Amino acid sequence: MAYEAQYYPGATSVAENRRKHMSGKVEKLREVSDDDLTLVLGHRAPGSDYPSTHPPLAEMGEPECSVREMVEATPGAKAGDRVRYVQFVDSMYNAPSTPYFRTYAAAINFRGVDPGTLSGRQVVEARERDMEEVAKFQLETEMSCPALASLRGATVHGHSLRLPEDGIMFDMLDRCRLENGVVIMHKDQVGRAIDKKVDFGKPMSEEEAAKRTTIYRVDNVAFRDDAEVIEWVHTIFEKRTAYGFKPE
Amino acid sequence: MADDRKKMFQKDLEIKFTKAHGDNKMEGGEITDKKVTYYRLGVDQNPRKVEMRKAGQEMADKRGLVGYNPMMHCGGIPLGQRALTPSFISGTDMMVESDDLHYVNNAAMQQMWDDIRRTTIVGMDMAHETLEKRLGIEVTPETINHYLEVLNHALPGGAVIQEHMVETHPALVDDCYCKIFTGDDELADEIDPQFLININKQFPEEQAEALKAAIGKTTWQAAHIPTVVSRTTDGAQTSRWMAMQVGMSFIAAYNMCAGEAAVADLSYAAKHAGVISMGDMLPARRARGPNEPGGISFGHMADIIQTSRVDAEDPAHVALEVVGAGCMLFDQIWLGSYMSGGVGFTQYATAAYTNNILDDNLYYNVDYINDKYDGAANKGTDNKVKATMDVVKDIATESTIYGIENYENYPTALEDHFGGSQRATVLSAAAGSATALATGNGNAGLSGWYLSMYLHKEALGRLGFFGFDLQDQCGATNTFSFQSDEGLPVELRGPNYPNYAMNVGHQGGYAAIASAAHAGRGDAWAVNPLIKVCFADDMLPFDFTAPRKEFGRGALKEFEPAGERSLIIPAR
Repeated sequence: MAYEAQYYPGATSVAENRRKHMSGKVEKLREVSDDDLTLVLGHRAPGSDYPSTHPPLAEMGEPECSVREMVEATPGAKAGDRVRYVQFVDSMYNAPSTPYFRTYAAAINFRGVDPGTLSGRQVVEARERDMEEVAKFQLETEMSCPALASLRGATVHGHSLRLPEDGIMFDMLDRCRLENGVVIMHKDQVGRAIDKKVDFGKPMSEEEAAKRTTIYRVDNVAFRDDAEVIEWVHTIFEKRTAYGFKPE
Repeated sequence: MADDRKKMFQKDLEIKFTKAHGDNKMEGGEITDKKVTYYRLGVDQNPRKVEMRKAGQEMADKRGLVGYNPMMHCGGIPLGQRALTPSFISGTDMMVESDDLHYVNNAAMQQMWDDIRRTTIVGMDMAHETLEKRLGIEVTPETINHYLEVLNHALPGGAVIQEHMVETHPALVDDCYCKIFTGDDELADEIDPQFLININKQFPEEQAEALKAAIGKTTWQAAHIPTVVSRTTDGAQTSRWMAMQVGMSFIAAYNMCAGEAAVADLSYAAKHAGVISMGDMLPARRARGPNEPGGISFGHMADIIQTSRVDAEDPAHVALEVVGAGCMLFDQIWLGSYMSGGVGFTQYATAAYTNNILDDNLYYNVDYINDKYDGAANKGTDNKVKATMDVVKDIATESTIYGIENYENYPTALEDHFGGSQRATVLSAAAGSATALATGNGNAGLSGWYLSMYLHKEALGRLGFFGFDLQDQCGATNTFSFQSDEGLPVELRGPNYPNYAMNVGHQGGYAAIASAAHAGRGDAWAVNPLIKVCFADDMLPFDFTAPRKEFGRGALKEFEPAGERSLIIPAR
């Protein structure tokens, strides 16, 4: 019988959304052009070549190695791209994703990624073109709402703060704004001004965000009510505790 | 359990978030609002920041080299894009500026650490045996009193044997002294009261009897070398300074020969055989001697804090005071300065002892436990619930979900604890301390701590930062293992326990769990009765019965520290 990944327990919409994020089977909601993505990431000028840190692997005369033969290098590694990052901040007020589920989504569905998971932000480091693939995937799909999630390389403060009146997650560096009903980004990840306003489209409505979110909240789907998830956490906890105890 | 209690943080958050402070325009709204106006007023909104900016400008003008300038933040976007708000010290009515809880800006915090670092406990019995059995010198209460009079001259830096000696100025070292304590009531009655830590007077009767039984007829010196000496040197100096002055004082008090071999025995006893340090020496990679914060076990910390003897009937309060003291010392000073640097650690640590958010969670847990487990959270030994996995799961789960729901129902509470590390500490400290209170078992409390971390992470999809996430997610595996290098009773763990060496914000919580287990039982001490008695001394500049209040006094500039140098610097 073929194994079918189960990803996550739970009988609620939040648990179901977590399974979707982990499986990568998420709905595409918007288009972000390559040039716009390059602009907001801020690592190079749109249209410019990828800076490299070594020649293409094919030109390097790599040593014989069974692992190298078994594992095909990612496009970025093949080309010799430098390692660059994309970092997301997700509001605790029903942003679609959360740091751990961004990490799981990246680690399960993409190769050559190095995710880092914190409370207020989640970073993925990878060869530049590989990273861009992850970034685009997460920006274009239901994993992100332009009002409740944003790209922030530094000064990430905001995930836990009350929302401003316009519903755009607080950003000390004011990288995102609501203009004419759509969210635009006029600074790059680290807050440097960019040449154009990049349009990320309309914010999700409160109802849509509540439906798509992966965070439990007492005013939406309470963690307390997802008995299967709590039971699963208890099981993991007990097994780890018993394993370490080793009473013999 | 129906949650119809009034939240203990409600008043604090209402004043913090719905009243104007300085020029921050925070007047109005409710603490349950999910939206707010951000005025982006910068540092101009906050009186302390304005004062600091002015001081930075004056300093730059005076020295001709720039320094503090808030416009250096984020390339010209200063702090204060959100409202800068003060905080209440938990368990008090003191509202303080957040900046004033950095230990550099808080004399009480500095003094707490000074008072611990400059303390050593030295046994008298080995020295007395040397005098009596080897030299045939009679030791009586009268000679002990005389010796203590000599020692209290010598310990601060007074000469007792040689001619033409330099000495320290008494007004610079007036915080230095030595008292003694014993479990022997008859001997205690004979000691001049000025030299005695009177166990019967300082502790409730039940605790006093337990302490005296543990100490027995042994006698101990509680010595505090000068703050200024300890600050100029380090914690490892404390026992050395004490040993030198002990040796000289014995020579003077008992008319010994300054060079006779017995003096070496007295020194050996004072430096090694009969000395109790507050903290153990650390391994080379941490490179600290004894009496530095990284070596202070959580059990020692629980014993240093004295709330258990003045509010024994409220063990939750005892644990909360240990949280405050532990977070300040272990996070703000040890991890925040010894092991790292900068200012971020203050944000982590203060979450656990400001605005009553942790207090509310823990007292909710007390009610929950008392309702469900027949008063198990009250002080006592016969009322405890057996430490089983089911009990750990029940208490830690209820506590954690209650705390998470507070953050969800009160967006201002979430905004106050705006970092996941802060929330992780608070939620787990509540869960761990409550489990320890109910079971009287510190490691059951520790188990509750780790379950809380798992639940928190799964509920919110986030926890803290990798540095402690990793350790909090693997800690359950060594909670009950006491095999070498794998685990320890929580009382004997400390900041340098392998999994805790980077546990930012957590170590005060661990100390609280150690404290809660014993305070919950009504024990007179957690690990070491000598340390408990040593700090039961009203003469210490820092009041160890109420560390959080002392931090508040420090922030409000009401605290009088020791070791000041105004006597030897130009008058201003």
